[in-house]
Amino acid sequence: MPPAPNKDDLAATWNFLQVGVEKIMTNLKDGVDMATYMGIYTAVHNFCTSQKAVASGGGIIGGNAHRGAHLLGEDLYKNLKGYLKGHLEDLHEKSKGHIDEALLTYYIREWDRYTTAAKYTNHLFRYLNRHWVKREIDEGKKDVFDVYTLHLVQWREVLFEKVNKNVMAAVLKMVEKQRNGETIEQSQIKSIVDSFVSLGLDETDSTKSTLDVYRFHFEKPFIDATTRYYENESNQFVAENSVIDYMKKAETRLEEEKNRVGLYLHQDIMNPLMKACLSVLVTGHSPLLRDEFQVLLDTDRQDDLARMYRLLARIIDGLEPLRTKFEAHVRKSGLAAVEKFATEGDNMEPKTYVDALLEVHTQYQKLVDDAFTGESEFVRSLDNACKEFVNRNKVCKTGSSRSPELLAKYTDALLKKSAKSAEEADLEASLIQIMTVFKYIEDKDVFQKFYSRMLAKRLVHSSSASEDAETSMIGKLKEACGYEYTNKLQRMFQDIQISTDLNSAFKEYQARLLDEDGLKKAVDPSYQVLGTGFWPLSPPQTNFIPPQEIVDTYTRFQNFYFDKHSGRKLTWLWQLCKGEMKANYVKNTKIPYTFCVSTYQMAILLLFNDSDTVTYEDAQKGTALSAEWLDPSLSVFVKAKVLIPFPENAKAEPGTSYTLNYNFKHKKVKVNLNIVVKSDAKQEVEETHKTIEEDRKLLMQSAIVRIMKSRKHMKHVVLVQETISQIKSRFTPKVQDIKKSIDQLIEKEYLERLENEELGYLA
Amino acid sequence: MAEMQKIKLMSSDSAEITVDRDVAERSVLIKNMMEDIGEQAMTEAIPIPNVSSQYLVKPLQETNLPPQVNEAVLNKVIEWCVHHKGDPPATNDDDADSRKKTTDIEEWDQKFMQVDQEMLFEIILAANYLDIKALLDVGCKTVANMIKGKSPEEIRKTFNIQNDFTPEEEDQIRRENEWAEDR
Repeated sequence: MPPAPNKDDLAATWNFLQVGVEKIMTNLKDGVDMATYMGIYTAVHNFCTSQKAVASGGGIIGGNAHRGAHLLGEDLYKNLKGYLKGHLEDLHEKSKGHIDEALLTYYIREWDRYTTAAKYTNHLFRYLNRHWVKREIDEGKKDVFDVYTLHLVQWREVLFEKVNKNVMAAVLKMVEKQRNGETIEQSQIKSIVDSFVSLGLDETDSTKSTLDVYRFHFEKPFIDATTRYYENESNQFVAENSVIDYMKKAETRLEEEKNRVGLYLHQDIMNPLMKACLSVLVTGHSPLLRDEFQVLLDTDRQDDLARMYRLLARIIDGLEPLRTKFEAHVRKSGLAAVEKFATEGDNMEPKTYVDALLEVHTQYQKLVDDAFTGESEFVRSLDNACKEFVNRNKVCKTGSSRSPELLAKYTDALLKKSAKSAEEADLEASLIQIMTVFKYIEDKDVFQKFYSRMLAKRLVHSSSASEDAETSMIGKLKEACGYEYTNKLQRMFQDIQISTDLNSAFKEYQARLLDEDGLKKAVDPSYQVLGTGFWPLSPPQTNFIPPQEIVDTYTRFQNFYFDKHSGRKLTWLWQLCKGEMKANYVKNTKIPYTFCVSTYQMAILLLFNDSDTVTYEDAQKGTALSAEWLDPSLSVFVKAKVLIPFPENAKAEPGTSYTLNYNFKHKKVKVNLNIVVKSDAKQEVEETHKTIEEDRKLLMQSAIVRIMKSRKHMKHVVLVQETISQIKSRFTPKVQDIKKSIDQLIEKEYLERLENEELGYLA
Repeated sequence: MAEMQKIKLMSSDSAEITVDRDVAERSVLIKNMMEDIGEQAMTEAIPIPNVSSQYLVKPLQETNLPPQVNEAVLNKVIEWCVHHKGDPPATNDDDADSRKKTTDIEEWDQKFMQVDQEMLFEIILAANYLDIKALLDVGCKTVANMIKGKSPEEIRKTFNIQNDFTPEEEDQIRRENEWAEDR
């Protein structure tokens, strides 16, 4: 350590400093002793506070008056800068002897040494930083930096600008090696990245840094090289391998690149790198992938479908074409599934049909959930497809009302008491499945019609399998379609409940009214009072003389009822009534048989109390039944051998006479003779369809009136549109029918035609 | 808790003073050096060499004070550092605004600065050299308060400054700075 220089002597001071700086720069590993450290710091301090320089600056007051006190240091700064330039030029010269990995090693080694030294020197020149540099920067000088930054700026200008291309080429070579499966020294690249990032100095504010240098010199070439690499690789790969294998490859590569960022790249590159990789690996081959989609669907390769989804989901508009294909595929599958049964025509089992629909839905719902992560757009495609094949398929060729009809029938089969009644839990699961199909049904009003008819039957005949299941089903329908949809259904339940109470009240009433003898004679009745508006039931279509045996009882009930609710009207729905009769006449049996019969049948059989033989004409006269009700009832008796016709095997027609069979035999004590005749059921379906048409007309008309009432007048076209949107939750109306309804309303003078195709509302 | 590291400082007149490391590190110079040199600084005494005092104000030269961080000054500086060792480091914002605007000095510092003028300037110079910004500020504020409210003549008297302006120069300066006159 030479003695401290004269503080006024620039040359001496710099000579002294240069020795120290050189030592720090080139030989820091040997350490700096304290004397040197303090010596350099003090020399800088002394020079910057020296008197002589003040004089050379022109005095405190005078030329520099505007700056306040004059600060020294410019000369030191310039000398230091010159020294660094020389040093770095030397480094550049030496760098020429290295290429590739050796160049990286060289660059990193020199960079580490240089920046460590820079930190030291920055500390030693702190007095210069604190005063002269600070003043220069405060005054807005752009090309003056603190000593550490000066080191970086010099590195960038003198060395980096000349070598960065070669360095980068070496980096890219290494990365390519790694992509090809070789092991590389990753930390080297990390060091290079750090170095490039450090050189990003904000020209306008030295305290801030930017990524500009790194982005331009590292990120850009890196991305370009990546793009080129994967372009080559992927093109070659797809030429030699299957699409399925390519997707696996692409997925692996994307994962690798993502990990690469964490391993040794700057986090900032993540987005551009992923974008570049996706563009090459996925977007570039997306037509190929999409072509494969149909194949994968056909062969049901879930894992590969999931992989394709994951890849295409990452690019813009990647999935839309898949959704279209998926929708078409599901629709085709649905139609094909239905087609298998379509030949069975009207005899088709509702369960078979609904199961076929459900199977397709379940299959693809699972695919959407598992492979497409339940993505909402795919769910929508699935829904669209299901809606299509549920409402328009081979079975529904006559119209979309066939699906709701079959669905309702299947529901009825589930909810009805039967030998193979399902467990509660299974039943609930089936109901949930029914709702899945129901969701897709367009003609929800048709379902409602059939459902309410069948519910009415279940209630009237007390043939529901489970009250809980009935309630649960109505709850589900209410949830899906709202209060209005299930209103009547719920009222039907209420009526049944009220009737139960009514019956017990009536029993008490009857007990008070009759003496013991009278009670013994009276039949044991049960009544159901059903609100006309809520039940899809019609009055009897035949005349009927109720047998005297029950007249007293029901007249008593009527009196009781009118007493309770004056002004109401009771219509007896004889066709739905039934009763039990004891056949005391039959020989050869200890316990008399009990016949379960309809009220009509009861009336016929009671005629035999007066005579063992009754002619067809007598029966007609005695019951007043029309042939269409009388004949089937008689046939049932003949078939069951309760009655014996004469002549033998004669049809139910005038001229035939019937004799009571005293030798009747049956394996059960209770004999059910109340058997519904088949042709009835079919007729009912047709009838239901007919009422649906009527109801729809009303629904359309009421919707139109509602709209017009609130809007007063409206363009024809707009009104039609509005009407459709109001009632499409029930069924999809035809424009033609709406127009017809409008015309009818005009006729009825609810509406009037105005100019410009406008319609007006007439209050 | 580990025993606080001790560091030895050596004044220009070769007096060794032992202080806690965190006290010594109030000086950015020492703090940086500890970082850079490390071990060596723990064992050897750190020399705090001479400081040129000529730069600040002329009259100091004439007082012929030894321009050094001698034992008395170093002790004074350490006293301040011990008192302020727990202070939070000044942020840059403080640096920009509050420090410039106020000449307020906290009570302890005021008392601390009640020294003769020579000592005051020695402290300022030492703080400047050792890079102890807060102490430098307190010192300069103390000087500023000595100037505040005084006429040029009084200031000259206080600091023993000779008037080397010609009457014309003085008149010109007064006119240029008229706007700043306290009226």
